[in-house]
Amino acid sequence: MTIKEYLESIGVLFETNEEALRFLNQAEVIDFLSAKKDNLPKEADETKSDETRNPIDENIIEEIFYVEEDIPLKSSDLLDDPLAEDTSKTDDMAKFSDYSVPMNEDEKQQARDNAFAETVRSKHFTLQNAKVNQPYNFSVDPDFIQANHIGEFWFDGLEALGLEFDKADNTIKGIPTKSGDHKITWHYRHIDWTEGRPTFQRDLTLVVNPDPRSLWNNTPTSTDIPFYKPDCDKAFRKVGAKSGFLGLRKEERKDMVAASQRGRSHAHGGSPRDDDFAFHFDEKNEWYVLVVADGAGSAKYSRRGSEIACHTTIDVCRKALEVSSDNLEQLIAGFKKEDSQENRKKVGDLIYQVLGAAVFKSYKNIEEEAKNSDSELRDFSTTLLMTICKKFKFGWFVASFWVGDGGIGIYDKNTQFLKVMGEPDGGEFAGQTRFLTMPEIIQPAEIYRRLRFGLVDDFTALVLMTDGITDPKFETDANLMRIEKWNSLWEDLSKEVDFENDVDCSNQLLAWLDFWSPGNHDDRTIAILY
Amino acid sequence: MRRLPVYLLLDTSGSMRGEPIESVKVGLEAMISSLRQDPFALESVHMSIITFDRDVKQILPLTELEALQLPEITTPESGPTHLGEALELLCKKVDSEVLVSTSEQKGDWMPLLFIMTDGKPSDLQKYNQMIPEVKKRNFGSIIACAAGAKADVRPLQLLTDQVYSLDTTDSSTFRQFFKWVSASVSVGNRSVGASDEMQLPPPPPEVHTII
Repeated sequence: MTIKEYLESIGVLFETNEEALRFLNQAEVIDFLSAKKDNLPKEADETKSDETRNPIDENIIEEIFYVEEDIPLKSSDLLDDPLAEDTSKTDDMAKFSDYSVPMNEDEKQQARDNAFAETVRSKHFTLQNAKVNQPYNFSVDPDFIQANHIGEFWFDGLEALGLEFDKADNTIKGIPTKSGDHKITWHYRHIDWTEGRPTFQRDLTLVVNPDPRSLWNNTPTSTDIPFYKPDCDKAFRKVGAKSGFLGLRKEERKDMVAASQRGRSHAHGGSPRDDDFAFHFDEKNEWYVLVVADGAGSAKYSRRGSEIACHTTIDVCRKALEVSSDNLEQLIAGFKKEDSQENRKKVGDLIYQVLGAAVFKSYKNIEEEAKNSDSELRDFSTTLLMTICKKFKFGWFVASFWVGDGGIGIYDKNTQFLKVMGEPDGGEFAGQTRFLTMPEIIQPAEIYRRLRFGLVDDFTALVLMTDGITDPKFETDANLMRIEKWNSLWEDLSKEVDFENDVDCSNQLLAWLDFWSPGNHDDRTIAILY
Repeated sequence: MRRLPVYLLLDTSGSMRGEPIESVKVGLEAMISSLRQDPFALESVHMSIITFDRDVKQILPLTELEALQLPEITTPESGPTHLGEALELLCKKVDSEVLVSTSEQKGDWMPLLFIMTDGKPSDLQKYNQMIPEVKKRNFGSIIACAAGAKADVRPLQLLTDQVYSLDTTDSSTFRQFFKWVSASVSVGNRSVGASDEMQLPPPPPEVHTII
């Protein structure tokens, strides 16, 4: 009676004997079955022999022993005890020899060699991955060599890749020139190798990773898509100096520059740029308005969302400032004189009427566009960062609204002054943020909460940027508040962009946007007042 | 640099022994090679493999694609399919391996989860217990694949809306499947943000969408 048959007789069904044995490989089951078996009716026991031990018991124990035997011996066990090592050799030999025929010395040697080759072949051994055009250095683990009784060894196929094997320190070195999965043949001999004994080989794969820079494609966006926009954009506005009374006391004024570049991740697949920007200088009242917006990568018409948001903002601010400029200037002067709760509230309320209206109108215009194009509002998801500012005799007034990731900051290189005009809306995971198009954002209290304004003496730059720049340059929200990070950003920018002379530097700024940062290939947009 | 964690849960129960598991290995190799050709994946994908049969093991801890080498995958001769236990290990690993944003730390992209089984969970009670736990882990996408005639799609449907079936467990089917997984991972890299669901590329003809 097999185990399977026995189990069937007590109502436990298995497809194969193997499966039944597997099931039995548990002490409790054995105990349980032993007890069960004793209670079986006599007829079922008729196959039982006269031996004292039940054949089922024996069979079970045998099989369990067999299963346990499968557990491989640890190589460290073998190393510590020379006797154990010998035993293992004999065991290996047994696999390749037939004891029924006595072996001569040569045959024994051959069996030993084969056993060695097979053991080494079965061991986990891989070459560390390389990277194209980057120095590679991989040392073969000496413990591995020793534990497996490996003597001399070398590799074939390295030279063609620009690598070589240094026998002195068992290291593969060089700079691989070709990416891909390459076949390398490893040749190895037993530690006791002598002339006439075999050399074995094993195929290994050496992965040479390509340089990610070489893999990016730049596919232009099809102009046929709805709401097409160019893959990059730039603008420069020279405001220039203002002549004072009778042309005396010429007063320098700040200029504006902005650039927006499609991210590599979009360029690779030929998908459009989702970011946008706009700025405006009001000649009459001398207000500056700057805005950047980042359309959500996953929303199908977000490029249009960001565009509408930028243009609406300029439009609304321009008109609102035409009407309220005088009033606002008076309130700001009052606020400067006395920073009281009351004066602060008055300025805030008027700012709300300007920026709040721009936010609200942007939302409405996007909603309208969604309706007209038979789409959902969320298809136009975009962030929105805006500022208005003006220079007074007593310094600069800057007000802002910010929803989403990215950042707005006022930076002064000389005084090491930094004011970040809000907080980025980040989620738990990368890519999660808030958008203008979320209905909770355009609640009055929420808009008010996101407004910032203040007075500063002067600044090197007022910078608005999307997360395509803040992610690589600042990395974390905490870093966005650190002056050192702004110093590096400005230093980096100044190397490539001429902010000193009153020239159109928008081309330089656009070129700067191509900076390389692994894993950061989103659209990048920056607008600077300087 | 932001990482895209990708977790693969692979059935290694007895029924996968032989051709099916060999086909899975070939498919995995091809998938990894093709991901290495995707610049974004090469820089951001981090992959982990958990196998489940009677035992549940993370045979590959979350590893960047550049350094990744496929570990040995073995299957016992027979035995149960402890998918529930695999989900439990998965949750533990996600909690310890996936980074969430804090003011001082850059968070990962939302992780992706692919599950492949040719049977049904033997530890159904644990499996059902783990479903809400897995859902709490904020996977960007969970894609389950029922391979072969004996695979049961119903338990998988409790875990995710995206359940697909493969008619056979041969190498060309798995090759197609993993090719599609790699395309999905590449898409996962790019489509994050406003929409809740990742837009998957259409599955190959060998892969059937379960409605």
